[in-house]
Amino acid sequence: MNIILDFFRGQDGFTVLSIYHGTLRLVLPLMALLIVFRSARSLLGFRREPEVWAWLRLATGELLPVTHWENLMGRKKSADIVLNFATVSKNHAVLTRLDDGGWSITDIGAKGKLEVNGRRVLSGPVNYGDRISLAGLEMVLEPVSRQEAKLQADSRTKAGKGNSPGLTLLLLTLFQLLVTVELILNRTEDRVTIMTSFGILICIQWILFFGQKLIRRSGFEVETIAFFLISIGLGICGAGNPGEMYKQLISMGIGIAMFLGLGFCLRDLETAKRLRYLAAGFGVLLFLANLALGRTINGSRNWIFIGGFSFQPSELVKLCFILTGASTMDRIVTRRNLLAFVFYMAFIGACLVVLNDFGSAAIFFVGFLAIALLRSSSYPSGMLVLVGVGMMAVLVLAAVLAIEHFPHVADRFSGYGHVWEHPFDNKGYQQTHSLMCIAAGGLFGLGLGKGWMRYMAASDTDLVFAYVCEEWGLIMGVLMIFALAMLGLFVVRSSKVARSSFYTIGATAAMSIWMVQAILNVFGTVDFLPLTGVTFPFVSNGGSSMMSCWAMMAFLKACDTRQNASFAVKLSTKGGDRG
Amino acid sequence: MKSISARTSFALILASILLFGLLSFVIRFFLYADRWVSFVGSPHVYTNGRLDTGDILDRSGEVLYSSDRDQSYSDNVLIRTATLHLLGDREGNIPARLISSFASKLFGYNKLTGTSAMETKGGELHLSVSAQVQAIALQAMNGRKGTVGVYNYRSGEILCAVSSPSFDPLNPPNLDSDNFDGRYDGVYVYRFFRSAYTPGSIFKLTTLAAALEQDPAIQNESFNCSGSLIVNGERITCPRAHGTQSLEDALANSCNCAFAQITGELGKEGLLKQAKAIRLEEKLSVDGFSTARGHLDLSEADENALAWAGIGQYTDQINPCQYMVFMGAIANGGIAAEPWLVSSASCAGRESYRADRQQTPRMLSEQTAKILRGLMRHNVETMYGAVDIPGLPVCAKSGTAEVGSDANTATFAGFVASERYPLAFIVVVESGGAGSVAGAPIARTVLESCINVMDGE
Repeated sequence: MNIILDFFRGQDGFTVLSIYHGTLRLVLPLMALLIVFRSARSLLGFRREPEVWAWLRLATGELLPVTHWENLMGRKKSADIVLNFATVSKNHAVLTRLDDGGWSITDIGAKGKLEVNGRRVLSGPVNYGDRISLAGLEMVLEPVSRQEAKLQADSRTKAGKGNSPGLTLLLLTLFQLLVTVELILNRTEDRVTIMTSFGILICIQWILFFGQKLIRRSGFEVETIAFFLISIGLGICGAGNPGEMYKQLISMGIGIAMFLGLGFCLRDLETAKRLRYLAAGFGVLLFLANLALGRTINGSRNWIFIGGFSFQPSELVKLCFILTGASTMDRIVTRRNLLAFVFYMAFIGACLVVLNDFGSAAIFFVGFLAIALLRSSSYPSGMLVLVGVGMMAVLVLAAVLAIEHFPHVADRFSGYGHVWEHPFDNKGYQQTHSLMCIAAGGLFGLGLGKGWMRYMAASDTDLVFAYVCEEWGLIMGVLMIFALAMLGLFVVRSSKVARSSFYTIGATAAMSIWMVQAILNVFGTVDFLPLTGVTFPFVSNGGSSMMSCWAMMAFLKACDTRQNASFAVKLSTKGGDRG
Repeated sequence: MKSISARTSFALILASILLFGLLSFVIRFFLYADRWVSFVGSPHVYTNGRLDTGDILDRSGEVLYSSDRDQSYSDNVLIRTATLHLLGDREGNIPARLISSFASKLFGYNKLTGTSAMETKGGELHLSVSAQVQAIALQAMNGRKGTVGVYNYRSGEILCAVSSPSFDPLNPPNLDSDNFDGRYDGVYVYRFFRSAYTPGSIFKLTTLAAALEQDPAIQNESFNCSGSLIVNGERITCPRAHGTQSLEDALANSCNCAFAQITGELGKEGLLKQAKAIRLEEKLSVDGFSTARGHLDLSEADENALAWAGIGQYTDQINPCQYMVFMGAIANGGIAAEPWLVSSASCAGRESYRADRQQTPRMLSEQTAKILRGLMRHNVETMYGAVDIPGLPVCAKSGTAEVGSDANTATFAGFVASERYPLAFIVVVESGGAGSVAGAPIARTVLESCINVMDGE
C-alpha cells in the first residue's frame, strides 16, 4: 500500500502535480504495452495462407499449386514443387514468375533433361498451356482464374483485421502527447522545441498512414513500432539534448523518403535486381570516401563532415550491403556466385578494421552470415562452415590486433566482466553508472527528464538502454526490446509464404543486423558483453542510424504478403480488395 | 524457397539470444538492483560524495553513527574507537560495509518506484552489538592485537565483535610516519571477520569432535604421556610428562601426545570431514561482512604432520567468527544460530528489514556435543579458574599457537552453557603468550559485561 502511495508523492507530499506525474508513470508503460501488444498480435497472429500463382497439371490429371514467385522443382523433400520420380534430379529446375506476370524456367541440375513444348531449354520463357517436361515427366502450366484469385484474396488474413492499425496509431499519438506534456512540465527550457518536434513527428506519422490508405494499403504495424521506438528516442533527446531533436526529425524525414523509394523499387523484382549493382558500387564509394575524409570520434575514424553535416558512412553501407547480398533463387542456384560477395564482405571488413570500428565490423559480419546462410541453401554445408570459420578467424585476429594497438579498445575489453572493480575509470565507469541508474529507475522510471544519465557521455547512443530504464523504467526498456524482437519474428514467420528469395534474404539480413545491434547495445551497457559503441535501432540518437533504419525497413514491407498490407508489395489480384 | 525460408531461423536465433539475455538481465535486476543503487558513488544516492543513510544504533539504542551531522560518530571516544571496524572510517580505508549493504533499506529504495520515493532523511539501522561491551572488550585487549567475539548461539545476535588495534575515526593517526613501533600494524583489517589465525590447541575440539563422531568409545580410553612421542621419526612434545590420563584430563592438560594418538587413529579423512562439517574453509557472510576462510590442507601431510594438524599447528588456520559459531554449535547440541549484526532497519518510520534467523547445518551430533560440553566444563573447573563466573557453567578451551619466530598467539574459545545467557565466545590475542593466561581474563570481563547488558534488557 505504502509503495503504491509512493508513486503519487512528490518532494512536498501529495499535490495535484505529483499525483499527475505518478499516474503518468503508471499509464505510459501500460499504453506502451498495449501498443506493442496490438502490433504483435497483428504481425504474428496472421494465418499464413500460401498464395497460388499458377497450377501445374500432371499427365495423371493431378494439379500441383505453384505458391511462390521462385519455385525449386525437384525430387528432394525441401523442394517447393516436389516431383518424386526416379528420373527427376534432386534439384531439377527453378520456375520463376516475372514482374509482368509471365513465367520462366531454368535448368539447374537437370543436365539437359528439361524441355518446353518438346524443345530443350537451359533457361527460357514458359507460357500458360506450354508443356514442360522434366526428364520425361510431363506437365502443363495453367493459370489461376480470376475467381480463384478473388477467393484466395478473400480467404487471406487482411492486415489489421481485428487490430485496427489506425486505433493503434491513435494510441501511439496519445502516448506521444502525454510524453510531450510530461517533458514540458519537467523541463523549463526548450519547451517550444519539444512541442514542435513531437508535433512534427505526429504529423508525419499520420501523413504516412493516410498516404498508404490512399493506395489501399492497410498494414501499418511495422511503421507503428518504428514510430513508437522513435518516440522514446525523441523523448530522450528532449530530456537531455533538445537541440538535437530537429536533426533527428530531418534524418527521419530523409529516412522515410528512402524507405518509400526503396519500397517502391522492391515491388518490382527486376528494378530491385538492377539496384544491386548500384548499391554495391555506392557502398564501396562510401567507404573509400570514409577512408579519405574520415575523422576520429571516440577512437573510431568512422565519421565524415560535409558542410556542417556529419554522418557515419558505415550506416548507409549496411543498406548497400544487404541489397548487394540479396539475390533471386535462379541466380543463387545456377551461378553460386557467393565468392564475389565474400570478397565484398572482406573489403568492408578491412575498411572497418582500418577505421577501427569493431562494433560495426561485428554487425556486418552477422549480416554476412545471414546472407551467406540463406544463399548457400543449395550448397554443401561444409563449404559454408569453412567460409564462416575463415571470416571469424579474420575478425578475431583483427580484434586481437586492435586490443594490442589501440588503448581505448583495450580498456573496454579489459574491464569487461568485472566492471564493479573499476567504477571510476575507463574500464567500468560507463557500465557501472548505467547499472546504478537502471536500478535507480526501478520498474517505472524516475520520470522524463529527471534522470542522471543525461550528464554522461554517449548516454543517448551507446548507453541508451540505461537511459530509457532510468527515466522511463525497466518495463519500457523491456518493451523496447520486445518491439524490435517482434519485427525479427515477423520476418521469420512471413518467410514461409515469401514470394522471392530476394525479399527473404533482404529482410532476414536487415533483421539479423538489428538484432545484433540490440544485443551489442543492451548487453554492452549491462556488462554481459564488452561495450562496443553500437546504436539501438530507432532509439539511439544519431542521424545516419535513423536513415539506415528506415531504409532497411523497406525490406520488411517487401515481405509482408498479407492481403493489401504493404505498399512494397503489388496487390495480388488486379484491383485488389475494394471492400 | 522452402530451404531458404527454413534458414531464416538464423534471425530467430538472434532474437532468442536477445530475449534470453534480456530475461537474465531482468533476473539480475531483481537480485542485485539494491546493491547497484547503493554502490559508492551512485549518483542518485550520494550527494557530494556523502551518503545520507541515517543513523546506526547499538542494541541499547545508543547512536553510533549519524549521517545527518556530517558523518559523525559517537561522542564517546572509547565507543568510537571500539566500533570503528563495524562502521568504517572517513577515509574509506576501513570500508563501511554495514552502510553499503543496508543503504537501500535505509533510504527507502524499492525496485518498483526506484529512487524516486527516496526519503531525504535516512532511516535507522539497529545493531545487535552492544557499544558498551565493545568498549569494555577493547579496553580488556589493552593495546594488544587481536579480536574478541561474543554471540548468542540461540538467536544469532552478535553482541561483541571487536578488533584491536583500532583508532578514533575523528582523530586518525598518520600512519605514514613511523613513530608507532608497529602499534597500528594491520589496523585497517577487521580481524574478527577478515583474519585467519593458527588456532593452537582450541583446534583439539575439532579433532576430538571428529574422533567422538567416529567412535564414542574413545571417551573411556586412557592415554599415556611420557612428555614426547615419536611419530614417523619426529618428535611430538608436551611441556611435561602428563603420565596416564583419562580423555577428560588429556583435554584439560591439552596433552599433545594424547592428541597425536587420537589424530593418528582418526586419520586424514575423519579430520577433514569434521572440518567440512564446521565449515572451516567456507566464507561466511554476515550482514555485508564476509569472513576469511580457514585452512586445513592434509594433502601433503605425513603422519607426523597429521598429528600436528590435529593439535592445531601445521598449516591449520581458523577464522574467529567461524570458530565462534562452532563453539555455539557445541553448546547448543550440534546446531547453532547463524550469526548476524543487524537486527532491524527502518526507513521513514517503516520497518524495511528484520534479521532473518537461520540455523547452521548440523556440525556434530547431539551426543558428541554433550560429551564435549562436559569436557570443556571440566577444563574450566580444573584449569581456567580465571574465566569461571560464579553460578554460570562456563565451558572453554585454550590454545597457544606457535607462529614462526614471533611470540605465540593466545586463543581462548568457549561458551556459557546456560538457557538465560546462551553466549559463545572467542578471544584471540596476537603475541599473547599462553592462551588461558591471556585469553581467560578477557573472556570473563567481556562475558560479564554481556550478562550485564542482557540483564538490563
